[in-house]
Amino acid sequence: MTDNSPIIEVKHINKQFGDFTALSDVSLTVNRGETIAIIGPSGSGKSTLLRSINYLEQINSGEIIINGKTLVSTPQDKAIYVSDKEIRRICSDLGMIFQHFNLFPHMTCLRNITYAPIKVKKIAKARAEAEAKCLLAMVDLSGKEDSYPAMLSGGQKQRVAIARGLAMHPAVMLFDEPTSALDPEITGEVLAVMKKLAEDQMTMLVVTHEMGFAKEVADRVIFMADGRIVEQGTPRQIFDTPQSDRLKSFLRSVLRS
Amino acid sequence: MSETFDYILLILPALLQGTKIIVVMFFMTLIFAIPLGLPLALGSDSKVLPVRWACRAYVFIFRGTPLMLQLFFIYFMLPIYFGLRIDALPAAIITFVLNYAAYLSEIYRGGIGSIERGQYEASICLGLNKFQTMFDIIIPQAIKRVLPSVTNEMITLVKDTALVSVLGVADLMKNSRAAVNRDGSVMAYLVAAIIYLILNAVLTKLSYRFEDKLSRHEVRCNR
Repeated sequence: MTDNSPIIEVKHINKQFGDFTALSDVSLTVNRGETIAIIGPSGSGKSTLLRSINYLEQINSGEIIINGKTLVSTPQDKAIYVSDKEIRRICSDLGMIFQHFNLFPHMTCLRNITYAPIKVKKIAKARAEAEAKCLLAMVDLSGKEDSYPAMLSGGQKQRVAIARGLAMHPAVMLFDEPTSALDPEITGEVLAVMKKLAEDQMTMLVVTHEMGFAKEVADRVIFMADGRIVEQGTPRQIFDTPQSDRLKSFLRSVLRS
Repeated sequence: MSETFDYILLILPALLQGTKIIVVMFFMTLIFAIPLGLPLALGSDSKVLPVRWACRAYVFIFRGTPLMLQLFFIYFMLPIYFGLRIDALPAAIITFVLNYAAYLSEIYRGGIGSIERGQYEASICLGLNKFQTMFDIIIPQAIKRVLPSVTNEMITLVKDTALVSVLGVADLMKNSRAAVNRDGSVMAYLVAAIIYLILNAVLTKLSYRFEDKLSRHEVRCNR
């Protein structure tokens, strides 16, 4: 079973926030099983790119195709989205992990994970719970089923959030700075889970400041600055033989610290 | 001393009779105004402009005029202009429900607005529809945040019921005033004050208990 069609196609998208250009003519193709790290200085548009792909931001023009289904296109000069219902269907192929976890604080870990499968996918409760327990085991949190998010550490919360995302069986997982809100000593436990996912051929798009993760785990690294993709390539190409001055100076500043 | 005690026992039945009116008004207002405030709160922030205007106008009118005027309006004006004759107590209950729904809706609106954007974003990303997001994710969290303000309103409500005496309803206020005027002793006011305080003490206690129950997910693991 080999399907070589790209799972995400982003074509010439533009996004303005008022006068500020967040994304300028960005194009990107994500293939199945690929792990892509998006790096760049803050304000470079990397989070906006990720959030545009799953409709948390609306683009001004361009085209986004997910799993063969068009989310938004620009027949003339303005972006036109498909219907709300269609958007929900298309975006259900995408799982999203946030910097601040965004777990539901009034639900136990188990219910955080099972709520959407039961309510949205209409999966039987017993089955959803059994699967949630497997997912919790996968992220090394067995026994936390009945804990509320407030009882967990940041790293544990993020791992529950990953389990919650995976419970919907997305074709792609999007990570928006998943470790930026964590203490340095516990980022490792989250990165380990992500590495495991990458090894299991999960397609992942990761906005990150963790250069170590980008180097070690990513198949492809994308460097963004000023709303554009400036350079992309294998981790080797990006980190060992950067071409543009912008990337060189970025690497100097992050690797110095 | 025992004379005072005997006097209190003498006036107590009338005062307790009046207290019943408070309890009835309180629960009727609670039962209807608390749910009615929710559609008003959601409507006040609706993207459908006529809905938003209608809800905001409603809130403006009921917050912008005295409750006593509203009582008179419903009790005296409705029969005159619309031929609707309502007894004093139901008229008062209707007025209170309409008035308190307006206040509560603004409290709810604040509570719903205080929930972080990330909760909506997580809901969208998990494919929840607007209804599921609002009723299963946002509102359960908002309830805890608005509870102290709602309790405040409920305590005000207990005291506001004294206004129905202007429509001639024999509530605690009216009956105690009758006793004072009849017997030339202010003891009835003192007893009435104590009854109001007891009612609100019970209310406060219950609301704290409810708040604790809603906060259980915030308890840290060192318990």
